Amino acid sequence: MIRIHKQLPAAIFFVMLCLLSPVMAAPAVDVEDPWIREAPPASTVLAAYMVIKNNGDTQYTITRIESPDFRDAQIHRTVVEDGVAKMMPVEQLPLPVHGSISFEPGGLHLMLFDPLRSLREGDEVKLVIHVSNGDSITVQAPVVRKRGEDDHAHHHH
Amino acid sequence: MTTQRPTPISRHILIGVIIVLLATAAGIWSARLVLQRSGPQDELSATRFPVARAVQPFELVDHNNVAFNNASLQHRWSFMFFGYTYCPDVCPTTLSVLNSVAQRLQDLDVDVRFIMVTVDPERDTPERLAQFVTYFNGDFIGVTGTDEGLEQLTKQLGILHVRVQPEPGSDSYLMDHTAAVFLFDPDGRYHAVFSPPLSAEKIAGDFRKILQAYQ
Ligand SMILES: [Cu+2]
Repeated sequence: MIRIHKQLPAAIFFVMLCLLSPVMAAPAVDVEDPWIREAPPASTVLAAYMVIKNNGDTQYTITRIESPDFRDAQIHRTVVEDGVAKMMPVEQLPLPVHGSISFEPGGLHLMLFDPLRSLREGDEVKLVIHVSNGDSITVQAPVVRKRGEDDHAHHHH
Repeated sequence: MTTQRPTPISRHILIGVIIVLLATAAGIWSARLVLQRSGPQDELSATRFPVARAVQPFELVDHNNVAFNNASLQHRWSFMFFGYTYCPDVCPTTLSVLNSVAQRLQDLDVDVRFIMVTVDPERDTPERLAQFVTYFNGDFIGVTGTDEGLEQLTKQLGILHVRVQPEPGSDSYLMDHTAAVFLFDPDGRYHAVFSPPLSAEKIAGDFRKILQAYQ
């Protein structure tokens, strides 16, 4: 109920917008809350997190995510099997129809290899998300310092 | 008024009833004692061993190049985690959880240490480890060493660590590794283990109960 109420003004606004500009369509795929975990100095691998939404009636697939600030980027899924943590490369990431996929610590992440420049908190990194319909979405992901000292405060990223 | 003297038989019955009542009371009382003692254990999300396990000799070095061995586990509580610095997701997340545990235990008057042992000693030099662990908390300790030294410790704790996915033409690789956090008591014995998913709140809460039962 609460979620519907929260989304109601946005929905009304969206409907009005559609009436005003009949040619405009919502993007099929949205990327929300992208962020990169700041790494300790000298670290050469980082991880990016985000929520990817599929607003359409078609099941799309994320084929690749890249960043000009890194030598390489791979979609990984962390799994814990029999107490052992493993990172599995994800080649194709299906986006459910009218659904979303969350990249979050301890689960899906974009593994970023070898930064081409120094990245500290407050910096922004360009990520390009490639969708199977040929679209590509570009977002700016802020570098966020997360070291566990603020876990009491329930910060939202 | 006349009082009827109990017959010998009824007196025996009376004594019997009193004995049964006393025995029942004693049974309930001792059972409650036992339940109270095992109470905190029942509520733990950690696995605590009925008898803490001795740790067989191992020789490693900390991030200041100082020997890290059985003696290093004495006289303080030690939380220990196994990871590596080329790990951008699980290891930083675990060190963040442990830092949050450290904040939550600040009020305690006991010496608690947090240690990350690398399962990748080939790449994780003391210098590299120092930069990695102290980023999360200046008091955290990184431990590395030889493959043999690492095996001495990991084998007895049942830690798995495997090198995977060497990229062709590149020297980069990933490590699969046990994700649990191990707890050693001030006698240097393996006392409990926290299995993933790790929660700072649960680990800190469990540790307070473990501490109570230990003292
Ligand atoms: Cu990864």
